[in-house]
Amino acid sequence: MDQSEISQPVTDDVVLRRIERLQLNYISSIDEGPLDNWPHFFTDKCLYTVVSRDNFDRGMELGVMRFESVGMLIDRATATQHAAVFAPRIIRHLLGPTLVDDTGEGYRSRCNVAIYQTSPDGDTMLLMTAIYNDLIVEQDGVLKFKEKRVIYDTHRIPDSIVYPL
Amino acid sequence: MDGTQSSNNSETDIWSEAGTTRVPFQVYQDAEIYAQELEKIFYGSSWNYVGLECEVPNSGDFRRNFIGEREVLMIRKGDGALSVVENRCAHRGAQLCQTLSGNAGSAIMCPYHQWTYTLDGELTGMPFKRGINGKGGLNPDFDMKAHGLVALRVESLNGVVFASFDHDVPTLKEYLGPDMVKYFTRIFNGRGLRVVGYERQVIDCNWKLQMENLKDPYHAGILHLFLISFGLFRLDQESKCLVDDSKGHSVLMTNKGTEEGKEDTGGVKIAAPDFALTDHDLIQPRLEFGDNTTLSIQTLFPSIIIQAQCNTLATRQVIPKGPGSHELVWTFFGFKDDDDEMKNLRLRQANLMGSAGYVTLDDAEALEFSQVGLSGSSAGDAAVLEIGGTDCESNDHLVTESLIRGFYMKYRDIMGHGKAGA
Repeated sequence: MDQSEISQPVTDDVVLRRIERLQLNYISSIDEGPLDNWPHFFTDKCLYTVVSRDNFDRGMELGVMRFESVGMLIDRATATQHAAVFAPRIIRHLLGPTLVDDTGEGYRSRCNVAIYQTSPDGDTMLLMTAIYNDLIVEQDGVLKFKEKRVIYDTHRIPDSIVYPL
Repeated sequence: MDGTQSSNNSETDIWSEAGTTRVPFQVYQDAEIYAQELEKIFYGSSWNYVGLECEVPNSGDFRRNFIGEREVLMIRKGDGALSVVENRCAHRGAQLCQTLSGNAGSAIMCPYHQWTYTLDGELTGMPFKRGINGKGGLNPDFDMKAHGLVALRVESLNGVVFASFDHDVPTLKEYLGPDMVKYFTRIFNGRGLRVVGYERQVIDCNWKLQMENLKDPYHAGILHLFLISFGLFRLDQESKCLVDDSKGHSVLMTNKGTEEGKEDTGGVKIAAPDFALTDHDLIQPRLEFGDNTTLSIQTLFPSIIIQAQCNTLATRQVIPKGPGSHELVWTFFGFKDDDDEMKNLRLRQANLMGSAGYVTLDDAEALEFSQVGLSGSSAGDAAVLEIGGTDCESNDHLVTESLIRGFYMKYRDIMGHGKAGA
């Protein structure tokens, strides 16, 4: 996804801070909710995929989730809240520092992420470690994800993945 | 049972009746029963799924897998045939291959002391076999032929590979029986296969609960609100539940219903009846097997499930990990001649399945609820399986647990847990 892009490191602090804020607001929509906000961090046509590193390294696109429009993201947010049965849980994303490059087409943003999950009994476990590899564009003065690829290392998932990542 | 004074007698006594409408909760948590399951079922006279031929196209390609808790390697040999050997060195027991897949070249070599084997598992050599300057090494009478890898019997049916530790087991087709072969070859119809991708999840419940879940159409029309909401699965759909003569294998199939009348849910509570789906591709299959069936789930004893839900096709392998846990490995596949539209459909409809699937995330959750719930049970407590009566016969409806009852008929026979049905 990166190789063909001609990109330059972004050094403008204002841009870097806006992108960092986008990422923090994004994870907050999942960790703190409401989940109804989550789809609106994306452009209308977009690509959101959650792919194991195992599949990714084999050149396989199969993801545990794959959405290509805001509509599909809204489907997921609605289904998770109203058409799924699962034990309640708390999700917590911890983000590492973000590397940002300007590709001309948008900002390529990469950061490590660890996602923890806490059960109703209060036990916290590591759900996965992953990298966000995102393409961010500006639309009407607002930064949005045109692509968000969550490539996760933990390809032996403990139980199930309920919330988006 | 604390495991210190268990005996075969106490295990056979846990079943309160000749039939299988009561499944004692011990079978999901007792360490001794679990150990016997590994020996009698997985390492006994069963055929176990080990992968797809298309995963090992070239000579030397291997894929690592499990049968029970033993690791095996499925290997493509130089002559194009397949071998399956245990992934354990005959010398000191070290694991030979660590990656999930790879290419071994023309020989398998243990990383510890470089003992080397053919792709069939025959021991061919090791460093310092004759020592140094006549000192050390192996005795000249060491029998190389007696120290190969444990080799399994292998058969493949239309690209799907099975192996058995028992070299005297009946052929795979005999083991499956004509009915199961018919439904197996409906999906695996000889077209070249391709792997779309893998998913793996660890679910903390006994492996049999996972198998039961895929033999339980009753839950599917209740638990899976997503399916019910969009008419993908309803208990009133045209359907079949088939149990084979051995009672251990089964198929359940339904033809797609319509979204009309979805408000009639047979008393099942839906939280969001007005929820409309944006992505209709998700629930609109392209029929590809010459019939109107849009969901088929085949379960083959002991531990493989073949799923075709719309156009998302997968094998789901259940790998036991102690009495209270199992790993579920999903191999999503398609056909080599899939067009671009079908390739996209398979990727998008995979949203239904897997560890985050609209449908199957419910399953993983409910299965853990089961294990937690039954783990506090007393001797004599048992699951009640009387939906659809007490028999293990095939049905033309879905409100039945007869497939699960059938599984336990076969299970009891193999485990020596009394004479089921006597």
